[in-house]
Amino acid sequence: MDRRAFLKTAGMGSIAFAAGCSAKPEKTLYSLVKAPDDMVTGKEAWYAGTCRECPAGCGVLAKQREGRVIKLEGNPLHPVNRGTLCMRGQAALQAVYNPDRLLRPQLKTDEGWKEISFTEAEQLLGRKAAAAGKGNGRTRLMSEVVGAPMQALLTDLAYEWRTGDPVYFEPLSHESLRAAHRNVLGEDALPTYHLDQADLLVSFGADFLETWLSPVEYARRFKEMHAIDAGHKGIFVHLSPYQSLTAANADRWHCIRPDSEATLLKALIKYVLEKGDDRMLPGKLRKPLAEAVADADLDRAAAVAGIHPAALAHLADRLLTAERPLILGGGCGTAGASSDATEMAALLLNLVLDPQLSRIDFSRPQNLGKAASRTAVNALVDDLVAGQIQLLLIHNCNPVHTLSRGAEIARALDEGEGFTVCFSNFMDDTAAHADLVFPVQMALETWDAYDGKIGELSLSQPAMGKRHAMPAFGDVILKTAFRDPAAGDYQAWLLDWLGKQAGVNEMGTWIDAVQAGGLFRDAPPKPKSVSLQRGLSTALEALSEAKPPAATAADADTLTLATAPSIRFFDGRGANRSWLCEVPDPLTKVAWQSPVTLHPEAMNRIGVAQGDVVRLHSETADLEAPVYASEAIHPAMALMTMGQGHSAYGRYAEGVGGNPIALLTGDTSASGQPLTLAPLKAIAATGRRIKLAHTDGSRTQYGRKIAVSTTIGEDAAHGHAKGDGHAAGGHEAGLTMETFPLTLPLPEGYDRKRDIYPVHEHEGYRWGMIVDLDRCIGCGACATACYAENNIGIVGEERIIEGREMAWLRIERYLDPHDPSRITFFPLMCQHCDNAPCESVCPVYAPHHSKEGLNNQIYNRCIGTRFCAQNCPYKVRRFNWFEWQWPTPLEEQLNPNVTVRTKGVMEKCSFCIQRIKVAHGHAKDEDRRIHDGEIQPACVQTCPTGALVFGDLKDRQSRVRQMVKDPRAYQAMGYLNIKPAVIYLKKVLQEI
Amino acid sequence: MELLITSLSLFTLLAIIILIATRGRPMRFFTAFGDTLMNLWTNRGPLFWTALTVLLVLGFLFYFYTPPQSWVGKAQPIAFSHHLHSGVKNIQCEYCHPYVGRSIHPGLPPVEKCLHCHNYIIANHWEIRKEHNYYDTNTPTPWRKVNYLAEHVVFNHQRHIKKQVQCVECHGQIEKMDRIKGKHFYMGFCIKCHRERNANLDCWLACHS
Repeated sequence: MDRRAFLKTAGMGSIAFAAGCSAKPEKTLYSLVKAPDDMVTGKEAWYAGTCRECPAGCGVLAKQREGRVIKLEGNPLHPVNRGTLCMRGQAALQAVYNPDRLLRPQLKTDEGWKEISFTEAEQLLGRKAAAAGKGNGRTRLMSEVVGAPMQALLTDLAYEWRTGDPVYFEPLSHESLRAAHRNVLGEDALPTYHLDQADLLVSFGADFLETWLSPVEYARRFKEMHAIDAGHKGIFVHLSPYQSLTAANADRWHCIRPDSEATLLKALIKYVLEKGDDRMLPGKLRKPLAEAVADADLDRAAAVAGIHPAALAHLADRLLTAERPLILGGGCGTAGASSDATEMAALLLNLVLDPQLSRIDFSRPQNLGKAASRTAVNALVDDLVAGQIQLLLIHNCNPVHTLSRGAEIARALDEGEGFTVCFSNFMDDTAAHADLVFPVQMALETWDAYDGKIGELSLSQPAMGKRHAMPAFGDVILKTAFRDPAAGDYQAWLLDWLGKQAGVNEMGTWIDAVQAGGLFRDAPPKPKSVSLQRGLSTALEALSEAKPPAATAADADTLTLATAPSIRFFDGRGANRSWLCEVPDPLTKVAWQSPVTLHPEAMNRIGVAQGDVVRLHSETADLEAPVYASEAIHPAMALMTMGQGHSAYGRYAEGVGGNPIALLTGDTSASGQPLTLAPLKAIAATGRRIKLAHTDGSRTQYGRKIAVSTTIGEDAAHGHAKGDGHAAGGHEAGLTMETFPLTLPLPEGYDRKRDIYPVHEHEGYRWGMIVDLDRCIGCGACATACYAENNIGIVGEERIIEGREMAWLRIERYLDPHDPSRITFFPLMCQHCDNAPCESVCPVYAPHHSKEGLNNQIYNRCIGTRFCAQNCPYKVRRFNWFEWQWPTPLEEQLNPNVTVRTKGVMEKCSFCIQRIKVAHGHAKDEDRRIHDGEIQPACVQTCPTGALVFGDLKDRQSRVRQMVKDPRAYQAMGYLNIKPAVIYLKKVLQEI
Repeated sequence: MELLITSLSLFTLLAIIILIATRGRPMRFFTAFGDTLMNLWTNRGPLFWTALTVLLVLGFLFYFYTPPQSWVGKAQPIAFSHHLHSGVKNIQCEYCHPYVGRSIHPGLPPVEKCLHCHNYIIANHWEIRKEHNYYDTNTPTPWRKVNYLAEHVVFNHQRHIKKQVQCVECHGQIEKMDRIKGKHFYMGFCIKCHRERNANLDCWLACHS
């Protein structure tokens, strides 16, 4: 081809390309028929509601635009979460807009599923209920834990049908914990733990930052105690057989042999009883307790658990010297045969240390405590298998997936004579075997009340336009079960109940409650005083009988499998939300897949490497999973998170990952606690290998100054050079990684000796962010909120393996090369540098430095050279390799104020420019400057621990500017002299 | 205008024919008329195609530019006239587009708002009956969009109204249009005014996000 031909072809090609590049805009504008009072097109309206993604019941504010909810944020008035949300709460929207949501009832026929109308379904349900007849447990109800009004309705229903109480099935229930409180204190409840008031926190596996009781609340309380404040921070020690996210946040994590918690706790009780005799322990407890722990011994316990005796002795001394110690028992993911004893010993140790139990509050117990024990659930399943149930109603739970007897249940549902109705919005594992699947309204679409803590009613209201014809669950129950219901529909029934039980008798009270999101008391209730049970000595027998685990596991070939509840999927209900699949696991950084974590020793024994697929073989089932190597797990353990591996649950969940629950034996402890540890019969390589879809480049930072930690007093001792441009680490300011000073992205951050670029003068504001690494727990709520706010595409497993994930904000986790159990979590988003390397390499000037310091990415200017991403040291720029899809109706969640990016352009964090613009609008309306703290980007808004702060660096009084003066302040890779506007505060480590 | 173009085109066509027929010497049309006819006949092929092309082009132009629809906007589901409502009756823009001063979108009037008046004014007119039909069947009216803005731009009406920018400055003399022609707004249009008024020229802070 000669030059002219080339030019001709190129010219033709580019013209054809340009002509083909036209968007297809919407051609019709629909006007409303009647305008609702509170809907202004183009402006959001906020409705308070309740998150029902887990039994904690956080308050949410639903941001509604033109009838669609586009974002969930925490309700600041709500006592549980106080304005923040976890990643599952953020992703609740993807349940409402799930493309696989059932819109009509599905009836199973011989020819497969048949869609019927809601009226037909209700009539069919009524006929089946009449045919089943009353009494003798012929009709049974299995439901997730519901709020107090719905519980009252279901109890009425059970009475109406003369059948047993409804079984509230929660896969992650805390039977051992309840039993301990019942047996020792006579309180059959799950209390509130005041982590915030403790100065020493010792957890024996309770994963309170992930799924345990009320994770958002405990994340906040934990950081109130554990964040550095005036040179002090509380101490948190975690002992568990594998490192969970909670353990990764401990000052010291001790790896212990599985199921050795009770042994350790007994030894600690004995030690404290012997040494700390000045404590006011009631005599009636002291004597039987001393007898129960008589055979315990610290050194022996340390040997059994496999931790260093000196470390345990040190911990025991810490317990004695601590002023306000608090002990937490095990979590759902570490429940072994002695889990009852563990919880009881933890409670007793608390009692011994603090006879008043002043940090355990029974005045507002968790609603989760009303969940049926696994024994009761198993009894129901036995009845089902025996064919005694004529009509089984299952509401929002998935026993086929979450019980190890799932296959048995599925068979019983398929083959049994009885009729099963699944009130589920998805064709999930259980619904697929039911006879009728009846979708009902979700929490964002219905009137309801839920008390995550008993007595603290949080309300739900329809926060969005009615998209579907589906009725509320309460309405179905009222219509089919009560021929002549006293109140008309469930809303009226709810109001009636609230009038009788909660004193909501006036319209004003009701409207106030709906606007606030619930009926919250201003003052916290008085803690309930607790007293010891009478028959304590019999209860203590269980403790004295608790045997240490057989000391064979480590050297034998068999491994113990732990199934950990997942921060992403909870018990599995989150597995069909694409955000939760796409945001990687906080510890393994693997998205979409569910690998089995093994210790390198175990891997050597089996002869596998990371990525090899192994076959896990237990007494009940086989499962294949890829291996993930981690040193933060006991060598005798294999760890899998639960939640994935659905046989049916929509496109994002089906055939993704594996379900380890099937490998469990299904045994329970004496109290009914389901055991999540199970011995594996064998584990063997299959010879296959897959690539793990992990998003981390490496596990360590190779000695670079990215995520930096310090120890108490270190920075303060070195001191700073005066002013804001202080040198890090007390050295004279220089040009090396160690000596480069903190250079603010402001004119004063420029120095003619270092800089060749001219100073950026900012007009009015210079936006910046503070990230306190000491507060970050790595939970990933910020990353998920960013997906929700900024219309970020979901790329899926394959593309993540290719490294093409689109997250604007990711959390890197860096392991300490000297001690891999020490992890620093490092939220990383666009740093909005003042000397941005991306800006200087773009041939078309698409990354543009704004007058308020933001690094703008102009999508329509970008031609996709990707030079900017190459030149960005943080790798926060994301390129759209494809047009990402939002299967209908997921696109209804998209934020209309944020451009949906198309193929071929670069994108990145904008500091939520749309929110900055809204604040500018308010400020201009009122002719003032933007207040400090008025702008909260989505990540800042949702952070449960307040690790992120956003504000104006130019304003010397602003919170961010004040925090820059913190001796811990540094810039990630600031030594490149790019003057990032995100200032990190070092994580504070303490040696225990 | 149409007449002028047509007559000029036809005159040019006639001139071409004469020039060809007289071999470039037009006076021979009068002096040697027989020769001219002979030449015409010899060149009948090319002449035919030339005449056909010119007439087709003219027909095309007439077809697309002279009908009344080409001077007004798209036909809407209801024959609503902005000229009548805004011009003759002098109803303020904000009456039907009430959010213009407090939201990014001006808002379209809901069907019920039309009926606030039209329940009393020409209530039985066939176009108003359509309106009733939308209302009774609870159907949103599918108005055809006439103004287009690229999807990567978020235009905020509120800010412009607060800055005393009049509707006509961007949308033109709406009160004189029966059916609005509308337009595609391009960046140059925005930038010109932003420059003149010393308004925000920042990419994200002003328009994009």
